[in-house]
Amino acid sequence: MTNRSAEQGVNPLREGLSTRAVPQPCAIVIFGATGDLTHRKLIPALYNLAADGELPPAVAVVGFARRPKTDEEFRNELGETTKQFSRQEVRDDIWKTFSQSLSYHQSEFEDESGYRSLVKRLDQLDEERGTRGNRLFYFAAAPEQFEPILKNLKAAGLSKAKEGSWARVIIEKPFGRDLASAQELNRVVSNSFSEDQTYRIDHFLGKETAQNILVLRFANAIFEPIWNARYIDHIQITAAETLGVEGRAGYYETAGALRDMVQNHLLQLLCLVAMEAPTDLSADSIRDEKVKVVRSLRRYRPEEITKWVVRSQYTVGAINAEPVPAYREEEKVNPNSETETYVALRLLLDTWRWSEVPIYLRVGKRLPKSATEISVHFKKAPMVLFNRDSAEHDQNVLVIRIQPDEGISLRMMAKIPGTSLRIEPVKMDFHYGTSFGKASPEAYERLLLDAMSGDATLFARRDEVEEAWGFIDTIESAWSNKDAPPLTYYPAGSWGPEEADEFLARDGRTWRRL
Amino acid sequence: MFPLRFRHGIPFVAQASSLWGKQASRLRLVSTGVTPVCPTAEDGCTTPLGMTINCMPAPAETISLGLPVAIDRIDRGLKKLWSESEGAMTRASMINLAVYSEEPDSLTQNTQLLARIAENHACRGIVIGANPHSKNDRIEAWISAHCHVGRAGTKQVCSEQISFLLEGAKVKLLPSIVFSQLDSDLPLYLWWQSKFAEPMDPQLWSWIDRLIYDSQTWRDFNAQMRLVETAQREAKQRIVLCDLNWTRLVHFRVAFAQFFDHPSSHHHFREIESGTIVFGKNFRSTAILFIGWLAAQLGWEVRNGKNGDHIELENSTRNRVKIDLQENGDAPIGSFVAHSSDVKFEIALARCGDLLEVSRSKSDQSPARQLLPAGENDSVKLMSEELMRGGQRRVYLRALEKVRDLL
Repeated sequence: MTNRSAEQGVNPLREGLSTRAVPQPCAIVIFGATGDLTHRKLIPALYNLAADGELPPAVAVVGFARRPKTDEEFRNELGETTKQFSRQEVRDDIWKTFSQSLSYHQSEFEDESGYRSLVKRLDQLDEERGTRGNRLFYFAAAPEQFEPILKNLKAAGLSKAKEGSWARVIIEKPFGRDLASAQELNRVVSNSFSEDQTYRIDHFLGKETAQNILVLRFANAIFEPIWNARYIDHIQITAAETLGVEGRAGYYETAGALRDMVQNHLLQLLCLVAMEAPTDLSADSIRDEKVKVVRSLRRYRPEEITKWVVRSQYTVGAINAEPVPAYREEEKVNPNSETETYVALRLLLDTWRWSEVPIYLRVGKRLPKSATEISVHFKKAPMVLFNRDSAEHDQNVLVIRIQPDEGISLRMMAKIPGTSLRIEPVKMDFHYGTSFGKASPEAYERLLLDAMSGDATLFARRDEVEEAWGFIDTIESAWSNKDAPPLTYYPAGSWGPEEADEFLARDGRTWRRL
Repeated sequence: MFPLRFRHGIPFVAQASSLWGKQASRLRLVSTGVTPVCPTAEDGCTTPLGMTINCMPAPAETISLGLPVAIDRIDRGLKKLWSESEGAMTRASMINLAVYSEEPDSLTQNTQLLARIAENHACRGIVIGANPHSKNDRIEAWISAHCHVGRAGTKQVCSEQISFLLEGAKVKLLPSIVFSQLDSDLPLYLWWQSKFAEPMDPQLWSWIDRLIYDSQTWRDFNAQMRLVETAQREAKQRIVLCDLNWTRLVHFRVAFAQFFDHPSSHHHFREIESGTIVFGKNFRSTAILFIGWLAAQLGWEVRNGKNGDHIELENSTRNRVKIDLQENGDAPIGSFVAHSSDVKFEIALARCGDLLEVSRSKSDQSPARQLLPAGENDSVKLMSEELMRGGQRRVYLRALEKVRDLL
């Protein structure tokens, strides 16, 4: 039994110890190693993995960036920021050992010689730390740097793995800003790395509750039979945040809410909610089903965009009783900016399962509270017996809370105790934090481990990304027309513009109160 | 009279006091962060490499069993308990966790353990203190709840506990009295802290999903295991056997397994020639289980284990593997070193006991060292580890078969 496991390349000693693929030894090269993402997310995630014993000892992290810096300076800076951003307290002893795996490689992204010396460095790490020729390249740099980095990696022979090893690349969003640029980016990436080497990261998919959507749907027999147009009235997906642009104005001005959130995070959540059951749990089976959802999105005719898409921008207002400026008054924002900070859409999926079931998406900045959730609104019970006179609150609603306070709740009707027959909605509520004492790992921890293990399930595939951009482009192009619907406005601290309420009202529905 | 016990998830007593006013005096502060608790009152501890780790002293706690309640009023008592605390508290339960002991004072000790276990594993606790040898036939019951601030930091999350004292002939009523208190639809885990004795009540075992025990405390391993296996056979549903002595080995197993994650290292499985395992006083069985695990997973056969100092095995290519057994120190497993033809694989426990130092070295190279979590030989930590892992125990049963005659 065990010899056979070893012959098949499986470590027999791992049996029963882990239910997930084991991450393999590797060198992780982070391009843009002095940036925010590295300091706030990547290194704290790697530290937490090391502290939990999840990171293979033979992992080396090489920071690749322009600024001159010694290994020691790099480690010290990361030590400070990891203390600040780590999910768990940083222990000196663990940091001391972990930090030995960190080193810094100074080079311009365009400088070929920097990559030649990187090859030597990585070979040296194979010898010293046992990284075994495995390479994980993490693109935490600005998107415009991707092309020179990719070209130089290829020229240096780093995009091709040695015999018995692997080379993978993780790309951070945005994966382009429209279909054409996404295709171009994918072309550039595919010149150096094949699709199975490419991991497009969407950190929403690394969140526990996002992963739980598939478990909820396909591990519980009660939901799937009613998960269709016959029983579901509509679905709402909301991503609300109290924050403004917070120093990302430069990027946000060119993106807006539609590109920043809908194209990736919200459509990914939609895919998980609406997809058919995959044939197995392999990455491609799941992604095959997800991409079918995006393909089945009914494209808007130009005149429908005015009717079913609302774009808006926040004006001056208050969040938690604190005054906040209008978007156009934010630092580095064009005072005449037409960028949307809020967008609401009504989507339809042309599939048998979802025929004519509206899916309402809304995403916005400077809303009264931060919450991301999916609510599935079931059809009303027949208007007989108890429901004869009830007009409000008469739908069952299943809510999947993605963040914060991850959990699932179900609203149902119940009789109020008493001699009269009075019916009110009650809520059955499951909170992750209440039922499970252990904190969930950060999304980046899970996703980094998956990339090291070669599991691409939670990463976006090329066709998913391009299909999503194809859909978004129809909206963006309508917005860029002369006769485009005008930008609307909402005060910071409100739940968005009236127009967004009105388009649900046209369907006889309202947004769920969060 | 208020029988709720409060616990805060982070060591921050001031915040809890302001939140809970009078009840704060009952709040027991426990370190749940990563700062290690020293095994003794030392200032710190060191790894085998000499790194210093700061430790904090373990907190002292006092405990009571809660409100006494008549057996037929337990449900009513629990309802009253929750109605008094409505709004600020959430009752949570994922499993029924029954703890059975025949040790004197076990009720308070196990209540204390359960309070800490419930922080990470919301459950309905059923704590049973039994004295089958008493001349009095007596049953007493208490209800209480263990509360801590949830991760969201708003509501208190509470697990309820029902405690029973059973004496004399009443001990035989264990299944009917105790298991009528189960939270419906949730699995039942029974932590059996006493010796198993004949006759084993088939009515009891038929209710159990997981039977948790610690074979390290058994004097006659084979006799006890026979009883467990009989119970397992007689149960209408399959009981998963969870041996805390096996749980003790989890981190050592992970630390050793990780050396061989890359397929190119698998040739070492055939090339391991010898090893040395250092175990603490009374933990010889833990060390033998570890060897049983290696034998089961690597296809080795025990050839001679009667010699107290070492065990001789034969690997799949019929080569001899000799594992030396050395008793030293208090830790269940202090270290394990394996030698293949040219590589030394080493795992050693840091002195403060919550980290393992692992290294792999060739004779001509300096070793690459790493720290990994070690876990702790503490009932609460072992139980938490066990409850978190779930799954079947096929590897355990295979390991056991390999070394059964040596235990």
